[in-house]
Amino acid sequence: MIHELRYVLDHILGRDLAERYFKTFPDDTFLVSFPRSGNTWTRFLIGNLVRPNEAISFLNVERVIPDTSALSNRYLERIPRPRIIKSHQFFDARYKRVIYIVRDPRDVVLSYYNFQRKYGEIDDQYPLEQYLPRFIAGDVPGLIGWGSWGEHVLSWLATRHNSPGFLLLRYEAMLADPVCELGKVAKFLGIETTAEALAAVVERSSADNMRRMEKTQSDKWVVTKGRRKDIPFVGKAKEGGWQSLLPENAIDEIEEAWGPLMKALGYQLTRRPAAPLLPPYIHLQNAYTVPIRQQV
Amino acid sequence: MSVIHRVAYGIKHILELDKPRHHLMVYADDTFVVSFPGSGDTWTVFLIANLLQLKPPVTLPDVERFIPAIDGQTRRFFRAMPRPRVIQHHESFDPQYKNVIYIVRDPRDVVVSAYNSTHEWTGADGGDGFMSFVTEFVTGEKSDIGSWGEHVASWIATRGNAPRFLLLRYEDLVSETVRELDKVARFLGRQATAEHLAEAVKRSSVENKHRLEQAQSAGAKKTTSFPLAKEGGWRTTLPKAAVCEIESAWGPLMSTLGYELSETGAAKCRATEVAELERD
Repeated sequence: MIHELRYVLDHILGRDLAERYFKTFPDDTFLVSFPRSGNTWTRFLIGNLVRPNEAISFLNVERVIPDTSALSNRYLERIPRPRIIKSHQFFDARYKRVIYIVRDPRDVVLSYYNFQRKYGEIDDQYPLEQYLPRFIAGDVPGLIGWGSWGEHVLSWLATRHNSPGFLLLRYEAMLADPVCELGKVAKFLGIETTAEALAAVVERSSADNMRRMEKTQSDKWVVTKGRRKDIPFVGKAKEGGWQSLLPENAIDEIEEAWGPLMKALGYQLTRRPAAPLLPPYIHLQNAYTVPIRQQV
Repeated sequence: MSVIHRVAYGIKHILELDKPRHHLMVYADDTFVVSFPGSGDTWTVFLIANLLQLKPPVTLPDVERFIPAIDGQTRRFFRAMPRPRVIQHHESFDPQYKNVIYIVRDPRDVVVSAYNSTHEWTGADGGDGFMSFVTEFVTGEKSDIGSWGEHVASWIATRGNAPRFLLLRYEDLVSETVRELDKVARFLGRQATAEHLAEAVKRSSVENKHRLEQAQSAGAKKTTSFPLAKEGGWRTTLPKAAVCEIESAWGPLMSTLGYELSETGAAKCRATEVAELERD
């Protein structure tokens, strides 16, 4: 009941979290991904791209690229248009212009596992072997309203891939060649820029820089305020960590669940061959011209 | 939303008299009957209601209590419903809904049904007004739930192979009603005898429903309109340009669902396939 009263009071004051249902405009651009897929890094990159005179930090990122699951309806309404909005939502038809970031689920699971320990959403000692099947089913706290990795990715790709208002980015390609991938974003946003300017944006948004800022700013950022500090929010910013950290049967389970989709996205399977992703829902064959960096 | 509206909503929310829409407490044993609007869902839901209860016969206002639409009843009502609940809604993919019966219908008929529900149908030469309606239908630009293609693809791509997803074509429901209703019964874990199925089908016949509608329209608060169950009606009513626009947008998806494309649409799809093979 207290929870309900609080919700109602927040709603009346416009303080309730925007989450999925807030007022959208046709000129909004959405930066969407499953959690732990490089979304915050991309926010910094885009923030530094659109505000070249304002170094993006955890202190101002919410003003530049607000987060629907951390901010209120009223806050979002006051952001000057055209807005760029960060979201972890599964397919939402009201998002007409979307930049979607996808990351190898074998890395996502490890990153999300640590993230959920940081936020106390799972017990610190919760075994990875038990976590994994629940992650695959989309049945861990926090994911229940967002769907599994496969559902999330498919819900967007099946509906929007190949449509002009949709830009698909792979986190791994961004790591391999951030300037090139950021160039695609600039073009999508209609921003004229130069290779030098892009390189400067990439430098300002580097993982090292973000880690430095997190150390001094995590008490003030709405997302990390009051959370434990021994597990940092900014992750390793690497790809392929799963190769040494995920047990073989875990890799097996993930590849069994999402093999065709992973293969279509260019993620090499190591444990089993995958059937092609069935057309006609998704045609991804030639989506990637930038090769993924070879595993070291 | 003004402050007064928000306060009014707040009071309703506390009393649980608001419609749940996005605030429904979902249980693991809930089943959702989902469709893009205009896909024959009114009749299908009536059919399922008759499957769930034969005695006393289901009336139209009953349907809204048996299988309520997610924005058709209050949260208090949903909380008090006996479980397992069957609930109707029109949203595109939502991961919270674990048991889903999805009804799909040929978009060339859906567009006619959608147009009928908001405009007066003036025949095949509906003119520019109709064609701009078709374009809007195809892009889904102004829709909160997306276009027909987005709606269907969002569910089939995520859940198409899941055991707790039942895909029904409205066309099959109309032509093979008993067989399809049997699938529904199994999905809902009901043992239905052939007689039971036949009786449910008889009660849900189009004629019967029209009679019910007429008889009840005086007393009922809200009667739902019933689109004519004429499948393939688009062949005579839909302008060629509209057929072409729809098939160009969704040809491959329609073929997968077994909706035969007209000559031009099929040729375009073949061309796309060839182009893709050549690129590979």
